[in-house]
Amino acid sequence: MIELKKAGRMYRQGNREVYALRDVSLLIKSGEFLSIMGPSGSGKSTLLNLMGGLDQPSSGEVFMDGKPLHGISDYELTLIRRRRVGFIFQFFNLLPLLTAEENVGLPLLLDGLPFTEVQPKAAALLRQVGLGERREHRPEQLSGGEMQRVAIARALITEPAVILADEPTGNLDSHTSEEIFLLLRNLNEQGQTIVMVTHDSKAAAYGSRVMTLKDGAIAEDMMIAEPAS
Amino acid sequence: MKLLNLLRHISLKHIRLQKAQLAMAIAGICLGVAAMVAIDLVNISVLKSFEDSINHATGRASLQITGAESGFPEEMLDRIQNLPGIEYAVPVIETNASLAGGQERSIMILGVDVLQDHQIRDYSLTDESADIPDPLMFLAKRDSLLLTRAMAEQEGIKIDQEIKIQTVAGLKTFKVRGLLNPEGPAKVAGGDIAVMDVYAAQMAFGKVGRLDRIDVSLLAGENLDAMKERITLALPAGYDVDTPAGRTRQVEILLGRFRNSMGLISFMALFVGMYLIYNTVSISIVQRRREIGILRALGAGRLQIAGLFLTETLAASAIAALLGIGLGLLFAKASIGLVAQSVTDMYVKASVSELAFAWPAVLKNAGIGMLASLVAAALPAIAGARITPVSAIRAHSYTPDGFLLSNRIRIAAIGCILISILCLVLFESAAPGSHLRSLGLVFTAVISLLAGVSLAVPILLKWFIPLLHNLLAVCFGAQGRLAGLNLQKNVTRNGVAVAAILCSIALFVSSANSVNSLRTSLFEWFDSIIRADILVSSGHPLAAGGAPTIPMPGEMLGEIAKLPGVSSVEPFRKGRVSYNGRKVLLEIFDVALRMEYCPAMIATGKREDMASLLPGQDNVVVNEAMAVKDRIKPGDTIVLPTPNGPVRFGVAAIIVSFTSDSGVVWMDVNTYRRHWRDDLVDTFEVLVKPDAEIKTVRQAILDRFGQERKLFALPAAEFKVEVRKILDRSFVMTNAVNILTLVIAGLGIIVTLLASVLERTREIGILRGIGMTRSQVSGVVIIESALIGAIGGVLGAATGILIGWIEVEGIFRLDFGASIGYHVHYPAIGLALLLAIGLSTLAGLYPARRAAGTNIVEALSYE
Repeated sequence: MIELKKAGRMYRQGNREVYALRDVSLLIKSGEFLSIMGPSGSGKSTLLNLMGGLDQPSSGEVFMDGKPLHGISDYELTLIRRRRVGFIFQFFNLLPLLTAEENVGLPLLLDGLPFTEVQPKAAALLRQVGLGERREHRPEQLSGGEMQRVAIARALITEPAVILADEPTGNLDSHTSEEIFLLLRNLNEQGQTIVMVTHDSKAAAYGSRVMTLKDGAIAEDMMIAEPAS
Repeated sequence: MKLLNLLRHISLKHIRLQKAQLAMAIAGICLGVAAMVAIDLVNISVLKSFEDSINHATGRASLQITGAESGFPEEMLDRIQNLPGIEYAVPVIETNASLAGGQERSIMILGVDVLQDHQIRDYSLTDESADIPDPLMFLAKRDSLLLTRAMAEQEGIKIDQEIKIQTVAGLKTFKVRGLLNPEGPAKVAGGDIAVMDVYAAQMAFGKVGRLDRIDVSLLAGENLDAMKERITLALPAGYDVDTPAGRTRQVEILLGRFRNSMGLISFMALFVGMYLIYNTVSISIVQRRREIGILRALGAGRLQIAGLFLTETLAASAIAALLGIGLGLLFAKASIGLVAQSVTDMYVKASVSELAFAWPAVLKNAGIGMLASLVAAALPAIAGARITPVSAIRAHSYTPDGFLLSNRIRIAAIGCILISILCLVLFESAAPGSHLRSLGLVFTAVISLLAGVSLAVPILLKWFIPLLHNLLAVCFGAQGRLAGLNLQKNVTRNGVAVAAILCSIALFVSSANSVNSLRTSLFEWFDSIIRADILVSSGHPLAAGGAPTIPMPGEMLGEIAKLPGVSSVEPFRKGRVSYNGRKVLLEIFDVALRMEYCPAMIATGKREDMASLLPGQDNVVVNEAMAVKDRIKPGDTIVLPTPNGPVRFGVAAIIVSFTSDSGVVWMDVNTYRRHWRDDLVDTFEVLVKPDAEIKTVRQAILDRFGQERKLFALPAAEFKVEVRKILDRSFVMTNAVNILTLVIAGLGIIVTLLASVLERTREIGILRGIGMTRSQVSGVVIIESALIGAIGGVLGAATGILIGWIEVEGIFRLDFGASIGYHVHYPAIGLALLLAIGLSTLAGLYPARRAAGTNIVEALSYE
C-alpha cells in the first residue's frame, strides 16, 4: 500500500548537498509490520517522513494506495496525513495544554467534527490502550509510557491506513517499551499496517519484516514472519 | 467548525497562560484606537458646535445671504424682500462684543428686526419680568437688550439691571429687558449671546446703514435651488447665498487642515500599536512552534494555522477596540476644551459645551483598529503557517527561521525607501498647484520611509551588533557581552522591538523639528512684521484668533498720535473675504508708513513695487499660500467682492505671511476705505519715540481712553510671548499622542524581553548554576533593553530628521509657502534619545526581575 520508486531526499547545508536518502525503492503491503533499522544518520526518519507525507522527496516517487504523495499540493498532502496516516513520535508530541482525550481527538477536531461526536471515540480508544481513567489528565500528569499510549490512541482515531512510529520507545524504560511493542503488535495482528523506526534489534523482532538502512540506502530487507491478513 | 474547534480547545488555553503578553498587545491597540476615537470625537464636537450655533441662530430660515465681513448695504434687503417666492426676509447684525465688568466675557450680539424676527426665530422668555419686553419698547428704547438666562445667572445679572458693553463707540450702558430661556437663538455660542434691535446694533457696532446677514424663509412649495439662483441674480457679485448647511461646510473647509493633521497623528499611535501586535503574534508563533508542527503533522492545513492566529488576533483586537472606545471618550472629554481653544486661537471662535458622541466615527475607528491588528498579524501568521512539520517537531532548540533576514525583506525594505524617494522627487518636480503636490503623496513618502527603515532594522542589527561586542564588554563586562550576544541571537524578534522604538522616536523627533521649523520661521516673520512697540485694541488682541475683535473708530488714531512719547500710529484692520470658493484673510494697514519701519518679507517681486503700487491704489499683495493655491504671480489681477460689487486688483508682489493657510491679502488702508466705506480699526500699532518709555506711553493711552472704553494696550514683547503660547498650545495634542506612541513602543519592549527571558530559561539556569548572581542576570536583561532603546533611538532620530524635513517640505510649505525653513531642534533629539533609552530600560525592569527569579533546578530540567 506504500510504494517508493527511486525516492531520494537531499538537504542543503550551506554550500554542501547532503543526501539523507538515495534512490530508495520499496513496497509495503497492507498488514505488514515493517521495522526500519540503521545507525544514526542512515536516513530512517527521513524515509518515514516521506512515507507519511511529512516531507516531499527531492527525487523519485512515493505512492500510498496507488496515489502519489510526491508533487501534490500541501493541502492534499495535509489531508492524507490527517485521514490516512497515524503518527507516533519518540518525544510523544502531545499538546501540553490539551487533556488526554482532547489530544486523542485532535485529528477529528481538525476535520471539523464537533467535540460531542469526537469525545466518545477518543474515550473508547483510551480505554483500549488502558487509560480509560486518565481521560481528563494533561500530559504533564502522565508518565512517559502513558503519554505514548495517548499518542498511539491519537494515531488510531482516524482508522488510518498506516501507522508510522519513529523510535516510539526511545524515551522509555525497557519495561514500558515492551508494553508499547506488545500494543503495537496487537494492533498489527488486527490488521493495522505499521512502519516503525527503531535502533533496537529486539524491538525489530516484534515486526514481520526488518529493513536496514545505511548511508541513505537499503542495505538489507528481510521478511521474518507472515504479515497479518 | 474546524477553526472553532481549534479556538475552543487550543486558543482559549493559551490565553489563560499568556495573560500578560495578551494584555500588553491589547493595551497597544486600545491606546491607538483611543487616540483616534478621541480626536475624531473632538473634531466632530467642534464642528457640531458650529453647526448647532448656525442652526440655532438660523431658526426657520432656508437661505442666508452674507457679504463683506464689515457688512453690506442694507438696501440689499429691499431687493430680496420684493422677490417672488420669498415669505420673509429679515435683517441680522451678528458681531462680537464684550461684557465689561465681571468675567469680561466675550459675547455674541444678535441685532434683529424686533417686529419681524419672530417669523424666523422663536424667542422664549422667562416671565419673571414685570416689564415683559414689548417689541415697540425695543424700538423706543434703544438701550434695550435680552440676555440668556444662563449668562445672567453666571454673571449675577437681573432683569432691569443696567450693564456695560464694549461697543465701537466705547463702553455703552444697556438695560436688560428680559431673559431668554435656553432655546433657539439663546443656545448660540454656548449661551453667550445678547439680542437687541437691529438699528441699535448698527449704531453700537459701527454698522450704520449696513447688515451682516439677511435670513430668508420661502413660501411653501418653492424650490430651494431655484430661489437661490433668483436671489443670487438679484444681488451684485460677491454675495454668498447659502443654506445653513452650506455655511457649516465653509467652516469645515476652514478647519480642514487642522482636522486632517490631528487625524494623521492619531493614526500614528495606531501604527506603532501595529508593531506591538506583529511582535506579540511573532513571539506567540515562536513559543508555539512545536505545537504548530504537531498540528501540521496531524493534518492541520496552512489555512487553519494562519486562521487560528488571525482569529486570536481578531478576538484580542475586538476587546482592545471596545476598551479603546471607552478610553477615547475619556481622552476626548479631557481634551475638548484645549482643542476648542486652539481652534479659537487660530481660526474662528469655537464654544463647545459638550462632547458629541457619533456612533459612525466610533465604530469606524474601532474597525480600523481591528483591521490594523489583522494586517499586523498577517505576516507572522502566514510565516507560522509555512512552518514545516518536520522542522518543528524535532527535539532541537529553536533557531529563527530568518524570514526577516531574507532577501525578500531586504528587497521590500529597499523598495519602500525607493518609493519614498520617488514620491519626494515627484512632489518636488511638480509645478506649484499641480495635483502631484498633494498631502497624499507626502504621507505616502513618510509611511514608506518608516516602513522601509523598519524592515531594514533586523539586517542592520545583524551587521552592527557584532561591532559593538568589544565596546559592550569594556563598558559592562561579561554582562554587556552577553547582552550583545543575546540581541544578535534573536535579531528578528529584537528587530521588531527596535523598529517600534524607532517609529515612535522618529515621530517624536520629526514633530519636534517641524514644529521648531514652523516656530522659528513664524517668529522670524513675526519679528519682521510686528515692529510697533504697543498694540492697542478693545478686546485682547489674541482673544479670538481669526474672529473679529470689537473695532474702534478711526478718529482715535489722531488722539493717540497726540499723546506724549508717541512717534507714529498705524491703523490695522482685518476681515475675511470670499475668493475662489473659500475665505481669505484681508489685512489692511497704511502701507507707506509700514514700509518705512517694517521689512516685509517678499517672496516674489520687488519691495519697491509694494511701496509704490499699493498706497491708495487698486493693487494688493498676496501671501505664498494663496499664490500657490490660486497660481497667482506678480502682475496678475484678482477680483475681490466689495460691498459695492466686485473690484479687480493688481497683484504687486508675493509676500511671506503665515497668518492664514487659506490665503492672506494685504491692502492699503486708503484703498480699503474707498471700496468698503469702513474706517473702523481693529488694532492701532503705536511706535514710541526713542527717548520715551513704553510703559509710560502705554499708561498714557489707557488714561486717555479708560473712561470711555475698555482698552488693551499690549507691549509688543508681551504680544509675542502670547503668540508663542498659542502656538505651543496648538501642538499639545501632537505631543500627547507622541508620548502615547512611546508608551506603546515601551509595551512592545516588555513583550519582547519577556519572550526572550522565557526562551533562555535553561541558559539562565546554567549561568546561575555556574555562579552568576541574580543582579548580574537582571543586569544582562536591562542592558539588552537599554541597547534596544539606544539603537531604536539613534535610528529613530536619524529617520525623524528626514521625516521632519518631508513634513516641512511637503505639508507646511504646501500650506504656508516656500519660506518655511527647516530647523532641526537638537535639544529635542537629545531628549528623544534619553526617552528612548530611559523608557526601554524601564520596560526591561519586569523581565529582568523574572529572569533573576529563575529557579535553577527547574530551569536546568526545562526543555
